[in-house]
Amino acid sequence: MPVRFNITLCDGPSCIHKRSKEVVSTIEGELEKHGLTGKVGINLSGCLGMCSKGPVMIINPGYTIYGAFAEEDIPEIIQQHIMKKKPVTRFIIDEDHLYNRFFRVFGDVNFFGKQMRIALRNCGIIDPENIDDYISLRGYEALAKALTDMSPGKVIAEIKKSGLRGRGGAGFPTGIKWELTAKEENDEKYVICNADEGDPGAFMDRSAIEGDPHTIVEGMLIAGFAIGAKKGIVYIRAEYPLAVKRIKKAIADAGREGFLGDNILGSNFNFDIEVRLGAGAFVCGEETALMLSIEGHRGMPRPRPPFPSVSGLFGKPTLINNVETWANIPVIILDGADWFSSLGTEKSKGTKVFALAGKVKNTGLVEVPMGTTLRQIIYNIGGGIPGDKKFKAVQTGGPSGGCLSEEYLDTKIDYESLAKAGSIMGSGGMIIIDEDSCMVNIAKFFLEFTQNESCGKCTPCREGTKRMLEILTRITEGKGAEGDIDKLQRLGNMIKKASLCGLGQSAPNPVLSTIKNFRAEYEEHVFNKRCRAGVCQHLLVYEITDKCVGCSVCKKACSVGAISGAPKARHVIDINKCIKCGACFKVCKFNAIRKS
Amino acid sequence: MSTPLEIIRKKRAEAINRIISKGYLSSKRVYVGMATCEIAAGSKDVMEVFQEAIRSGLSDVYLSQKGCAGRCNLEPTVEVVEEGKIPLKYGLVTKEKAKEIIERHLKKGEVIKEWLIK
Repeated sequence: MPVRFNITLCDGPSCIHKRSKEVVSTIEGELEKHGLTGKVGINLSGCLGMCSKGPVMIINPGYTIYGAFAEEDIPEIIQQHIMKKKPVTRFIIDEDHLYNRFFRVFGDVNFFGKQMRIALRNCGIIDPENIDDYISLRGYEALAKALTDMSPGKVIAEIKKSGLRGRGGAGFPTGIKWELTAKEENDEKYVICNADEGDPGAFMDRSAIEGDPHTIVEGMLIAGFAIGAKKGIVYIRAEYPLAVKRIKKAIADAGREGFLGDNILGSNFNFDIEVRLGAGAFVCGEETALMLSIEGHRGMPRPRPPFPSVSGLFGKPTLINNVETWANIPVIILDGADWFSSLGTEKSKGTKVFALAGKVKNTGLVEVPMGTTLRQIIYNIGGGIPGDKKFKAVQTGGPSGGCLSEEYLDTKIDYESLAKAGSIMGSGGMIIIDEDSCMVNIAKFFLEFTQNESCGKCTPCREGTKRMLEILTRITEGKGAEGDIDKLQRLGNMIKKASLCGLGQSAPNPVLSTIKNFRAEYEEHVFNKRCRAGVCQHLLVYEITDKCVGCSVCKKACSVGAISGAPKARHVIDINKCIKCGACFKVCKFNAIRKS
Repeated sequence: MSTPLEIIRKKRAEAINRIISKGYLSSKRVYVGMATCEIAAGSKDVMEVFQEAIRSGLSDVYLSQKGCAGRCNLEPTVEVVEEGKIPLKYGLVTKEKAKEIIERHLKKGEVIKEWLIK
């Protein structure tokens, strides 16, 4: 039988300070005394956002939140609540934040319990295609609150105060962006949702739209009201057909319920949203290229200023934010900027969604408060590296980000500390790399991507990434020469400084950061012609060891006739003929072929 | 003239009533993950098994789709929620497993422990 009760104890920094660790052992002792060990689940969560009332614990089912109790009160809580099913009212705190609902369903699972879900609060909870589900969880109430009790200026002040920063990667303060667009005097203004998610391995925006499309609509409506715009556009890539279908349905349903169109909710505010599909060019995630693409032109960035807030889509003031940024807006309006800004670090507030992928046991979507360390995400939530392999690096920020080695594992996640460590926050891709991966090859993979996606407008990006890729390819093929690593660094820094847009300015990051943190691996490739992870095919040597029984299976598998030997005698590989395809390695049943 | 806040409160009450009229208060609620990732992992088949069961008479069960909660390597996922109990989350659900969840859990109340996400 699964546990009947589950206690989730907040283990955020503030609660640790208030002795959460001791509280756990007291609870365990009390449960043991009553023979309840194993019948009540206990797990530690990340910060639950109720720091002022710590220590905080949640007892499920029922989602009763206890706070500000002393260790001496624990026996009473256990005896009354767990044994007699009578909650102890004087310690119950009644804080119904929007994110709470997620933990009613998922809080007892370690992977989810350690997270904090604000942007993804409804993902996996509601039926995304049923507007009633969204409305029933206080959906569109933030919009109504803004329309009823707040002036546009007050909405902007609230967003500014919350400290929310753009979740697309660059981290520009959202409130300031809103203020700048609101300041412009123009009858025609636009609000854009940037859902052109293109980083390899990233799927935060897709999941957010597929799981809870109405929150995007509501966020955009609130912005429209705040900056004085009547028109919103969701720019989403055509490769996300289900997300497109759901956001379109959300817009249609919202229109029917009177949340879009004229005189929204009986006010004099008018707003409409349409969906535009992107064809999947990476550079169209860059705001100026995105707007050109909407206008029907070829998607290419242009120099800023003028910024979109002054002259954006069709030359009008335009406010453009990322999907995750929009998803945070209703929460800030309903739960307040003060609460929101109590989460996170000094300069980065709130939470961030990451798509955890690569060599980690639990892959998936992770939303954690800013200030969580990389180690906590990878080991506590991600469950560590599978197969007892050794951790090698974590890649954040997709093709624009960098690879951080083990010494950076205790880096707290926020915009500044990741940048200081040599990577970026980016839109939230997080790929874990173990010892079986070659860092030179990883850098090459990301550079290949950006080189392919370079729009070609400016020379540093178009030519520079191409030359860098040529050098990297040479190195992985064993043709690297002395000076190649320095050349890569020089070129990389030049491209970063001279490129027109974010794509070029960040494209060399994977190469530069791997050189910085894993220089020895580059040197091995260049000078010793060796790939320690055994990934770069051209640098591999296949040998047959004395385990060989002469079954000649490998001989038959070799397509170039590089293996010879009499039956039942040890075979040999002619390394001059060998094309290093690895076919012999795969077919050998005796583990007799060594790859090095 | 009602304010937007008053209107939304009324709308919420209506929305909740509509959800209830669809059977939300059934003794068990079943949620099947239906985002792109879950569908790719086979959740459409799983959903069909539950739909078929309801068509052929499984009663007192509220069935709904949901988005992706983010537990990628255990998809498709299915949640069984009962009021007053901790919601149970099944991972790596196949058509066959779905049939067993219906027979054992939904009909007989037996929790299939080894398939739960912990």
